[in-house]
Amino acid sequence: MTDRHRRTSGTPRSERAVKWFVTLPPSVYLVAFFLLPSLIMVAASFRTPGAFGGLEPLRAPDGSLQLSADTYRFLFGDWIYLEIVGKSILVAAVTTLLCLLLSYPLALLIAKSPRRHRDFLVLLVVLPFAANFLIRVYAWILMLGPMNVLYSPVAVIVGMVYVHLPFMILPLYTNLEKHDPALLEAAQDLGAPRWTRFWRVTWPLSLPGVWSGTALVFIPVLGMFAIPELMGGTGDILIGNLIKEQFLDNRDWPLGSALSLVLTAVVLVLAGGAVLAGRRRRRLAKGGA
Amino acid sequence: MIAAPRTPARHPAPAAALPSIPALACAVALALLPAASCTPSSTPGADVLYLYTWNNYISDETAKRFEEWCGCTLKQDYYSDNEEMLAKLDAGAVGYDLLVPTGNAVETLIRQDALRPIDKALLPHFANLKPEYVDQWFDPGNRYSVPYAYTVTLIGYNEDRMRDLGLPTDTWALIFDPRYLQKIRGRVTVLNSQRELMAAAMIYLGRSPQSTDPADWEAARDVILHARPYWATFSNSTYIKDLAVGNIWVAHGYSSDMFRAREDAKDAGRPFTIGFTTPKEGAVLALDSFVLHKAGRRPDLAHRFIDFMLDGANAADVSNLIGAGNPNVAAQESIRPDIAGDPAIFPPPEQVQKMVMLRDFEPHLRRVLSRLWTEIKVR
Repeated sequence: MTDRHRRTSGTPRSERAVKWFVTLPPSVYLVAFFLLPSLIMVAASFRTPGAFGGLEPLRAPDGSLQLSADTYRFLFGDWIYLEIVGKSILVAAVTTLLCLLLSYPLALLIAKSPRRHRDFLVLLVVLPFAANFLIRVYAWILMLGPMNVLYSPVAVIVGMVYVHLPFMILPLYTNLEKHDPALLEAAQDLGAPRWTRFWRVTWPLSLPGVWSGTALVFIPVLGMFAIPELMGGTGDILIGNLIKEQFLDNRDWPLGSALSLVLTAVVLVLAGGAVLAGRRRRRLAKGGA
Repeated sequence: MIAAPRTPARHPAPAAALPSIPALACAVALALLPAASCTPSSTPGADVLYLYTWNNYISDETAKRFEEWCGCTLKQDYYSDNEEMLAKLDAGAVGYDLLVPTGNAVETLIRQDALRPIDKALLPHFANLKPEYVDQWFDPGNRYSVPYAYTVTLIGYNEDRMRDLGLPTDTWALIFDPRYLQKIRGRVTVLNSQRELMAAAMIYLGRSPQSTDPADWEAARDVILHARPYWATFSNSTYIKDLAVGNIWVAHGYSSDMFRAREDAKDAGRPFTIGFTTPKEGAVLALDSFVLHKAGRRPDLAHRFIDFMLDGANAADVSNLIGAGNPNVAAQESIRPDIAGDPAIFPPPEQVQKMVMLRDFEPHLRRVLSRLWTEIKVR
C-alpha cells in the first residue's frame, strides 16, 4: 500500500538520487574492503609463495609470467583440506542449531514481557560484550578445566555457542516483538490449541528472524579460529585455523588465499541455497493459498 | 620458524598506535585520558625512539632509566610472534627504529633488505657480548644485529606430580614415549607450532631438525601421531596459566614462559611448584637481537639505546624480569643468583653445544611440511 502511494506521489528522478545517495557509501565500502581484497586473493592464489614470505615477483627473471594452478592442485589433490572444510561446516551447523534452541524461548520470553522490562532484558543480553572476547574465553578455560571437558570438541561448541548467542537472540527478539497479539487471539478464538498457535502462527512469522540469526551465527563460526585454538583439543582444527596458519606461521599466501576463497565459496553457496529455498517456499505457499 | 609467542595474549597489546601518525594517536589518547603524557611526541623535532618488540621484554624501570639517561622518549609497540611483526612490516608499517626479531626472522629481514647496518663505533659496550652468541649464521660479523636475550624450548612440569609418579623430567621421552605418557594422559600440552614440535621429535629421534630428508620428517610425524592421543592439546600460550593453576602437569614450551608459570604459581601460593629442565637430548634455542629498521627515523637514538642495553646492569633486567637467558658477560653479576644459577635459563656450555637454532625452509618444503602438520592435526 505504502509502496503504491510513494510511487504515485514522488518524482522518480529525485527518488532515484536519494536511493543512490543512501546506498552509495556502503556499496563503496564493500567494493573497497570486500570485493577488491577478494579479487586480490584470487590473484594471489595463482601465484608462487615467496622465499621469505609474501609472493614471488609476477614475472620470472626471464620475463615469463609466473602464474599456475599448482596451489589448487595441491589443495584438491587429497581429501585432507576438504575434510576440514566439512568439519567446520558441521561445527557451524551444530553451533547454530544449539543457539537457535537456546535463544528462541528466551527471545519469546523477552518479547512477551512487559514493555518497561524489555530494554533492560535486552541490555542483559548484550552485557557480555562489555568484557573483551578473549577475557571471556579465558574465563571459560578456568571453568571448564576442573570439569575435564576443556580441550575437547565439546569445549569448542560450548565456547562457540556462548560467544554467538546474542547474535541469535537479538534478531529473533526484534522479529518476535513486532508480532500482532491479535493474530494469536484470533487463532485461539478459532479453537487452535497452544502448540498449534505457535506452530501455525508464531513460528512462520518468525522465520525472517530465524534466518538472519542463523546467518549471523553460522557464517562467523565457520571462520572462527580463536576458540578452537584456545579451547579445542589436539584434533579440533577448523578451516579458520588452517587459513591463519598459512598466512602467519607458514607464510604461504597462495595456499592461504585459496583456502579463504574455498570458505567464501562455501558461504555464498549455502546463502544462495537458503535464499532459493526461501523463495520457492514462498511461491509454493502463495500457490497453495 | 613458526610462531613463538611468549605471552598469554595472542593479540597485540592495545597500546599499539601507529608511530607514523603520532600526532593523531596523541589526539586520541588526549581525548581519552586528559592527563596522558603525549606532549613530547607531538612537538615537532622531539626526540622519540620507536621500538617494536615482544610483549613484556623491557621492564618499565629499564625504559624509564633509559629515558632519563638520554633525555628522550621511548615508545613501544608489541608483537607476540615474529610472523606477526614480519606481516605488519610487509604490509608497510613504517616509523619503527628498532625491532627485536629471532634469528630466522633477522635472516628474513636481511634478505628483504629491510635493515640498516649497525655502526659498531657507536657501540662501545659491544664487547660485553659472549663470543658464543655473536657472529651467528643469520648475520655473520653482526653487520645488522646485536644479540639481546635468548630462550630455550624445553619441558615445564609440575614438580610434585612428577615426583609422585616417578617420571623423568630431563628427556623428550616424557612427552613422546607412551610408556611415560600413559601416567599423565590428558595432562600434557605441546606447542601449536609445526617447526617447534617437529624439531623436538627430531631431536628425540637423534636427527637434525634442519634435515630436508622426507624420511626424517615422516619418522617425526609417526612419533607425534603415537603420542598425540595422550596430549590434552596444542597450546602456544594457555599452558602458562594451565601449569600455574594445576590443570596441566607437563608442557612443551619456552623457558621464559615456564619461568613465568613458576613465579605465578609461587605468587598464588599453590600447593605445588613448577619446574623446567632442558632435555638431555638437546633443544631449540631462540636468540633475539636488536636490529635497525630501514624506515626508522632516528638511527642515532637507536644506537644509543642498543649501547645502553649492552651495559651490564641494564642487560641484566631481561633475565631478572622474564627469566630469559643473557648473552651479556657484564650482566652476569647483576642477575639474581637463583636465575643465574638455573641451568634451564643459562644452559652450561656442554648443553649449549646440543642446542639448535631453527632456520626457515624454502617455500615448497614449507608447504609439504604444513600438509604433514595438518595431517597430524586431523588424524
